[in-house]
Amino acid sequence: MFDIELKNITKTYSGSEESAVKNLSLTVKKGSIVTLLGPSGCGKSTTLRLIAGFERAEEGSIELAGKTVSDKNIWIPPEKRGVGMVFQDYALFPHLNVFKNVGFGYKGKDRAERVMEVIRLVNLKGYEKRYPHELSGGQQQRVALARALTRRPVVVLLDEPFSNLDADLRVHMRFEVKRIISEAGATAIFVSHDQRDALAISDKIVVMNKGVIEQQGTPKEIYQSPSNKFVASFVGQSNILEGKINEDNKSVLTDLGIIPSYSAYNYKAGEKVYISIRPGSLEIDRNGQMNGLIKELTYSGEFFDIVVEVTLGNGTCQHLIAHIPPEEVVKVGDSLNFNILSQYVSIIKYH
Amino acid sequence: MGQVHISQFDKTKKIKQGKKMPSNILQYVNRKWLSIWKGNPPGLVLILFTFFTSLLMSIPIFYVIWRSFFAGGDRWKRLLDERIPQLLWNTLSLNLAVTVCAVIIGVSLAWIVTRTDIPGRKIWQWVLALPLVIPPYVGAVTYIIVFGPSGWARDIWNNSPLIVDLFGEYSINIYSFGGVFFVLTMFTYPYVYIIANASLRKMNHNFEEAASSLGSTPLQIFWKVNLPMLRPAIGSGAVLVSLYVLSDFGAISMLRYVTFTAAIYFQRQGMDISSAAVLSLVLVLLTIAILWLESLSKKKNKYYQTTNTYRKPLTLRLGKWKLVTFFYVSMVFLVSVLIPIIVLVYWSNIGIRMGALDERFFGFAFNSLKVSGIAAFICMLFAMPIIYLRSRYPSVISSAIERLSYSGYALPGIIVALGFIFIFNNHIPSIYGTFHMLYLAFVVRFLPQTMQAGDSSMRLISPRIDEAARSLGYPPWKVMFKVIMPNMLPGIMAGGSLAFVSSIKELPATLMLRSPGFDTLAIRVYFEAHERIYHLAAPSALLIILMSIIPLRYMLKKY
Repeated sequence: MFDIELKNITKTYSGSEESAVKNLSLTVKKGSIVTLLGPSGCGKSTTLRLIAGFERAEEGSIELAGKTVSDKNIWIPPEKRGVGMVFQDYALFPHLNVFKNVGFGYKGKDRAERVMEVIRLVNLKGYEKRYPHELSGGQQQRVALARALTRRPVVVLLDEPFSNLDADLRVHMRFEVKRIISEAGATAIFVSHDQRDALAISDKIVVMNKGVIEQQGTPKEIYQSPSNKFVASFVGQSNILEGKINEDNKSVLTDLGIIPSYSAYNYKAGEKVYISIRPGSLEIDRNGQMNGLIKELTYSGEFFDIVVEVTLGNGTCQHLIAHIPPEEVVKVGDSLNFNILSQYVSIIKYH
Repeated sequence: MGQVHISQFDKTKKIKQGKKMPSNILQYVNRKWLSIWKGNPPGLVLILFTFFTSLLMSIPIFYVIWRSFFAGGDRWKRLLDERIPQLLWNTLSLNLAVTVCAVIIGVSLAWIVTRTDIPGRKIWQWVLALPLVIPPYVGAVTYIIVFGPSGWARDIWNNSPLIVDLFGEYSINIYSFGGVFFVLTMFTYPYVYIIANASLRKMNHNFEEAASSLGSTPLQIFWKVNLPMLRPAIGSGAVLVSLYVLSDFGAISMLRYVTFTAAIYFQRQGMDISSAAVLSLVLVLLTIAILWLESLSKKKNKYYQTTNTYRKPLTLRLGKWKLVTFFYVSMVFLVSVLIPIIVLVYWSNIGIRMGALDERFFGFAFNSLKVSGIAAFICMLFAMPIIYLRSRYPSVISSAIERLSYSGYALPGIIVALGFIFIFNNHIPSIYGTFHMLYLAFVVRFLPQTMQAGDSSMRLISPRIDEAARSLGYPPWKVMFKVIMPNMLPGIMAGGSLAFVSSIKELPATLMLRSPGFDTLAIRVYFEAHERIYHLAAPSALLIILMSIIPLRYMLKKY
């Protein structure tokens, strides 16, 4: 059962030649959390605003809970769509206190109970009488989320909800927001440009670029088997090389040497492919097959962020980014022997 | 793919099949309408309401222009030959003289209080803006009292043998070009002063430091660094002064000078209303020319924005110039604030002892409060939908509506009054001559003041707030009433108080449109001063000034 279904949506803003969203189709399962992930200008916010009804698509249709809300002949305005929205700047009503913000637009007879129920859900009991300007950033976000949930919306739309929070609070709120949404049993669509947010909270990630969907799947699928170069480099860091499937169908021949990969059997021997090597796949080994020079080294606490320069057979150089354990004793200019672990290597179809 | 869904909605399908042609045209119109509003059209009620408001605001002006075309060739020829050249000379020479001097005084004062160590700098900062609360016609009254044929200056002059020996009998004539020029300059320089002061305070000190490290003296820095960067501020200040001089009727007519405004007033008193329309057209053209200059200066403004980190400017030590500078600043303050207030307090005191605060006086005050209050209320009511439309539904149509609403504000009040006389006399005689005409004219004149103030608080309300309310089930009209209005209220109130005070001060339209016997404070100042009953004029003038202080804080904050 799909809660939300977008079919072949195209949206072009007047005055711009490029479409913000091109022929986009997307389904969201009831009760799931989906993140639209992509760089700024990729059309993710536009998609969200199309679902909310703040923008109108020229082509395609949108269904919410089995009801068409937008197509060539039908236009349901945002106030009748029953979606909840959490804005980047929260957009709390400055003239209303927390209670009134959360209860805004709720018509039921059980208004007081429902509002208190949601306030408890977001852990803001005791703050009902406060005004938005008297709250911290994290508290404001809780109010914004509570306000979007009160009316039990078909879907909650969250536009970059974490971007105004500082790093610590951000990590904490990721879990909080995920908990609140699951406890409320709501369907949610996030928009984010931060892959860590997306990987942490989503059931499904939709990677977008230039108005089209590049790949969709579970966080694990997206991270471990990116389907193209854009996804591989946007979601996490990645070294992307060209190569050829080896005769044994278990590895890839590259300029670096033979790199093992389990997914090679999905391809024909001799087929030209790209290969994505995550920074974590580099294992230091005195007897390792490969050798390079450390060109850059940054200590980040959890690991060393290094750039290794490998001199290839034909005399040219290949740079690899990698993470190595912080207890290694290394410095810039050191020679390093290493292996590449197959579990962080994925093959991308040549295109 | 979109058509797949049509089958689910039989209604739309039937219409499509039944009347193919009209529905195509309808679809075309619909699409065009949507594209004008960028896919987000406002509600019909909002459109119609704001459209009619803007129409009301602009009709009087258009009507005057329209009427001027029917004045007849002979009248045009006669006016062009006999009146217009002289009026143009009077108006433009006065305008140029006042503007130039107001700019010199305004900029120099602003520079002195922001950049030098003049004693009492903080107090001068705001004290020098005070002439803004004294309407120039009140200023004119006080200087008639001081320099007039039976004024204080004459007594001093004739009683000191030394002056009489040197210059002969008292020879200052306040009823002259010089008199008008003096009064208008002293009461309009704050327009330049406030804007220049704000720009100087915002101006980045790095430029001055750079210049001084390259060996420039403070004076050179003023000429080569400060002045060029002040150009936009000077430009917009000069335009304000110039527009004011063009529209002033009170001070000019009290000092018996004749420019277009006074000439229009006298033509209409002489019942030659067609000539008044012709002169109005010329005045409209002059105003448009100045507004055009303003739009040029605004474009330039963009180049001069200083966005670097702000640093507090160094203060220049005046040294031996301290005394001269202090004398100059004090003189301006004395002439533009102290003397008028002293004169008014002196005569009010006499008036009160003679029983000037009688029932009649309070009647005038009540009349002023009544018409101005109603006008301010209507302004607040009408301003909100226009601001909302302009801010949330930007399009060609909404900016046209906004611009039309500004026409009564940009153009001299006397033309609005003339338009009202034409329209109500010819088409709505039942209201003609009642006090309803008065507050309606004030609304036409001062609605834009309320719009400006409301707009500045509307800018602080993020469009996301609207969207949040929409997603929570509120249709646009409800969003406007429940969310936008409560948040816009502070700005709208400030704007309302501006319109209120402007209405209380307003003279030409009040003079021309009031019903016989319906006198306001402004009217009484005008007539009592004309008949030299100063002890009756002074209390009214003082009350007007006191009320003008209400929105001053807001006005100063704006720059």
